[in-house]
Amino acid sequence: MKKPLTLRFWTVVLTLVLIYALVKWGIPVLSREITGMPFPLTVPGTLMFIYMLLTIIALFLLVTFNEEHLAEFLYPIQRFLRGEYGRATRTLGLLIVPALIGWQVYDVTIPKVQQPSSLRIQHPSSNFPKKNEDLKNPFANPSDAEVDAFIEQAQANEVGFIPQLRADLDNWAEYTEPDHMLEAIPTAPMRAFLGELAGGSVNPDSARAALMEKHLFEGRALYSMNCRPCHGDSVAGDGPMADGFKLRPINFTDNGTIETIVEGYTFWRVSNGGPGLPTEATPWDSAMPVWKLNLSEEERWKIILAEYDLAQKTPRIPESH
Amino acid sequence: MKYRVATIFTVLILNWGVAVGAQVPSGPRPQMTDASLAQGAAIYLRRCSFCHGLLGDGNGPAADFLDPRPRDFTLGTFKFRTTQSGELPRDEDLFRTVSRGLSGTAMQAFDSDLIKNGLSENERWAVIDYIKSFAVEFEDPELDPVKNDLVVTLPSERPAYSEALVAKGKEVFEHAKCWECHGKLGRGDGQKSFDRTDDWGFPIRIRNVTHPWKIKAGSEAEDIYMRFSTGINGTPMPSFVDALSEQERWALANFIKSLQHQPTGHQVLRALEIEGEISNDPREANWLAAEPMDVRLTGQVIAAPRWQNPSIELATVRALYNLEEIAFLIEWDDPFKDELHQSGIEFDPQEISRMGAFNSYVAANDVVPRQLETFRDAIALQFPVKLPEGTKKPHFFRGDSSNPVHLWQWRSDEAVRNAGQAVQESNARGWKQPAKAQSGEQQQVNAVASWNQGRWSVIMRRPLLTDDRNDIQFVKGRFIPLALNAWDGSNGEHGLIMSLSTWHSVILEAPVPIKIYLYTLLAVLASGALGLWLVRKERRRVAAMA
Repeated sequence: MKKPLTLRFWTVVLTLVLIYALVKWGIPVLSREITGMPFPLTVPGTLMFIYMLLTIIALFLLVTFNEEHLAEFLYPIQRFLRGEYGRATRTLGLLIVPALIGWQVYDVTIPKVQQPSSLRIQHPSSNFPKKNEDLKNPFANPSDAEVDAFIEQAQANEVGFIPQLRADLDNWAEYTEPDHMLEAIPTAPMRAFLGELAGGSVNPDSARAALMEKHLFEGRALYSMNCRPCHGDSVAGDGPMADGFKLRPINFTDNGTIETIVEGYTFWRVSNGGPGLPTEATPWDSAMPVWKLNLSEEERWKIILAEYDLAQKTPRIPESH
Repeated sequence: MKYRVATIFTVLILNWGVAVGAQVPSGPRPQMTDASLAQGAAIYLRRCSFCHGLLGDGNGPAADFLDPRPRDFTLGTFKFRTTQSGELPRDEDLFRTVSRGLSGTAMQAFDSDLIKNGLSENERWAVIDYIKSFAVEFEDPELDPVKNDLVVTLPSERPAYSEALVAKGKEVFEHAKCWECHGKLGRGDGQKSFDRTDDWGFPIRIRNVTHPWKIKAGSEAEDIYMRFSTGINGTPMPSFVDALSEQERWALANFIKSLQHQPTGHQVLRALEIEGEISNDPREANWLAAEPMDVRLTGQVIAAPRWQNPSIELATVRALYNLEEIAFLIEWDDPFKDELHQSGIEFDPQEISRMGAFNSYVAANDVVPRQLETFRDAIALQFPVKLPEGTKKPHFFRGDSSNPVHLWQWRSDEAVRNAGQAVQESNARGWKQPAKAQSGEQQQVNAVASWNQGRWSVIMRRPLLTDDRNDIQFVKGRFIPLALNAWDGSNGEHGLIMSLSTWHSVILEAPVPIKIYLYTLLAVLASGALGLWLVRKERRRVAAMA
């Protein structure tokens, strides 16, 4: 069967239309499926321009590959120009194409009343102090000495808690008259540890796990007191204060937030807040407080420990230099 | 591709089904065992105790900052039920509250279908069993609302929302005197004082039923129906189950639904250009023609003293301008008109460091007086001093050291004393230092204000351009950043204890520049000519070949 002579022309047109449709509507639809967010991510106009330009260049190369291709491509155009598809079609075509071009020019140049959008970099590193890259959360991996000290305190029933928890713990102790203050944390690792403690022989591994439970308990309390209003109980950036901020508080349960950064970065962000961001991250829209003004380093680290735990995420491991 | 699209649609439909179904358990509740109770205790510690307390008494470490305060489980008094007034809740009621949370409060949804790290159905049942163990009332079979037939159900016939139904509901609203507390327009302004407290001793705040995001147990007609059919235990909200018929209550629920405000979505305020004087009357035709923009506000939680109990969460702004001046109309709901200001009892932000071990948040009920005749109502418009180049702006919370902001603060007490000085213009460079008032002759903003049925309307006006280099200048065709700060005096708000918004924009639309039409015409002509030239060229080519 002989190929129809108009095939190459229509392939070019169809390719242009398909690629345009894919970038304009396909990517936003797919983005919703990938991100799981209730809104699509549209392709910015400049990127769209680049895509279309590349497509046109590719098609141009294809069409001008040799004389034969070019002739094939030009065949229907030349027929059209000669009026072989009908004089009315030619007149209509010669009117519609300039009208479309005019509409595009008008649409591009007319000023539009919409918030000037600003691109934003979520994890800017331009002013991230390199020394923070290797910072370790001191509560994530307690040393043997710390574990031993904890066992000693536990044996004497003199484990200290952060002052913010004291009122509630005292209230609880007065009412329930527990054998041991750590019974306030009725989780499996803590119960195992208390069982061993009562039995007289403590395994350092269970003590380590119990100490972790205590740190998490304190970290969650500090999170509830300080971060929950914006980031929410769910750590999904949907706290009761969140709706008022145009730049929504970060959703820690999202892939691509706290999972993609090292602990030292999280600590630096919590400490310096919105005002500590570089220009490319639009610090003027960020409601993140400068927590170093109100929370001690220990409190900030405990919160970070609890934050990763609540979000069921782990921080990125620093690259070894 | 087809398959992909189909998958996406399926996912969407499933998600929708889940969101709707989240409040009802999918099957019978599992039997309580020692293991499930231990599991419930561990979940409670991890997710509930910091607000509700280790003993379930509502006294966890975060409780002091919250209003409404976390529920005290030891009393067995629960507000949101489907049982008759004063009775215990059904298990399904607790399940529903845990699953979808209480809108507008710190109690958030815990359903694992709604949030990624939520609780499964079995986990929710386990924690509910643990919560019930705090109150002895649940152990008494004589108090069981299901066995004693005290359950309230929705009417079997529920006519669809219609104007006739709403009109009937309005009659019920008037007849049942709902307005005595909730106000004629539902803005919670019927109450005359703060003398009422709930069973836990905290001041009663009458709900503004027009703000759907604040209706704790749901804003649908079915939810609203349940609230006045069951009453809200522990508060003066009674049950109307005996006073009104099922159909009357259903109509009332639909009337309340009709009062709900539908917020606008845009972030840019278009100022409307008019000829002649700008009216001082917010009901004048030009003001009604101006496009409203809703601004969401939230508690100032950025710097100590942090405040998470803001009263004003929505303000609607309109703008008009003529050849000389621009005026902004700002309207917001506030059930009390607070026109006194006792500056002597203002809270000293410096003291924050001395308040306990750590309190960068302000306690809801103890630290600031939340009563009438203490602080004034106020609102402030905030602009950058300099029109931003590119996207760079001052920080939305009072700017920063190198990017100052310009504030127009309207104050109700000054409006009473001397209307000419109701607005103070000031400049701020960040929140650490108080905003600095401009000198007398630089105070150029005038205002008129009125308070009617629980709503303030304030019109502030100023010449478009001024000589003052610390002032914003209103130039046509530019996006001018605009943010709000708001204070409700009887909510204890003053200084940085306030609500605030992030940046929005206002634009004075410039006429379309003539060059745009010129470009368009040029493009049409050029491409038309090109077409004709191609036709001629082709004709010549054919002629040459022949």
